[in-house]
Amino acid sequence: MASHNVIAESKDVALVEVLDRVLDKGVVISGDLVISVAEVDLVYVGLKALISSVETMERLRGGPFVGPMQEPT
Amino acid sequence: MAIYIYGVIDSNGRPDDPMIGLEGALVCNLPYRDLGVVTSDLDARIPHITKEHVLGHERVVERLMVNFTVLPFRFPTIFDKKEDVLAMMNDHYDDFRDNLGRLRGKAEFGIKVIWPGDKIRTRMAPGENSAPMPAPASPARSFLKKKFEEHQIEKKIEDEADKHIALVDGFFNKFAAEKKLEKLKTENLLLNALYLVEKEKQGDFRQAFEQLRSSPGELKYLFSGPWPPYNFIKMIRP
Repeated sequence: MASHNVIAESKDVALVEVLDRVLDKGVVISGDLVISVAEVDLVYVGLKALISSVETMERLRGGPFVGPMQEPT
Repeated sequence: MAIYIYGVIDSNGRPDDPMIGLEGALVCNLPYRDLGVVTSDLDARIPHITKEHVLGHERVVERLMVNFTVLPFRFPTIFDKKEDVLAMMNDHYDDFRDNLGRLRGKAEFGIKVIWPGDKIRTRMAPGENSAPMPAPASPARSFLKKKFEEHQIEKKIEDEADKHIALVDGFFNKFAAEKKLEKLKTENLLLNALYLVEKEKQGDFRQAFEQLRSSPGELKYLFSGPWPPYNFIKMIRP
């Protein structure tokens, strides 16, 4: 079976996939009770820019997209 | 002291196995009616955004996913005291219950499709063999001609993208309860697709990916999952 066109495949997926979900998705509660911190958003802006595109990761690594938690395929 | 929230689950019972969460804190299930909100008491008021903390959050949520339906919260969601957490549960109980019912027995999968955007663009540009256009008579005409050509290229790229996306989606659509497709988020990221798949169909879904990956072509694929349903939670009520 050809696997040349698979960038990555694993349950232990790349960190970028985890970050994209844990920091940007899921239940968001707003209101007076929850403690929201402006600095977190500011940090996140930079982080989001860093992880926004898979191809950037590819380019920076100069090769296939391989996260720290997975085996290259 | 602060109460950190990992997520809400469809059980108000105590977890079978004791779990350790962020900063070595014990993970607890705080019951609210028939649901539970999974928390840790943290010394630090706000956990910093570090790889360890983000992965720690995800580990707890994935452990919960094994035995429960879980609605993961965005990192970092923190409350001052237990009464505030229960007030939040009271405010959002109906939304949580509806989401848990809709997402029960399902998991999220991600498919990213990458194409060589720069090559595609070059391919779509008018070549030397294309019919010669009459020379523009004025700067205004020249400007309009350029804009028209750019528009034509963009349209061709969009059409090509739609064609590929329909093909890829055709592999997965029949196994998905819900989906989200995002086209050309960046020049090379042709498709960022998210599928919500029932447990019984996850084998077929993986098989579909195996078929897709073996097909010839210049596209590259990234498969991830099963994930907790981060992208399919719908909070309707304010």
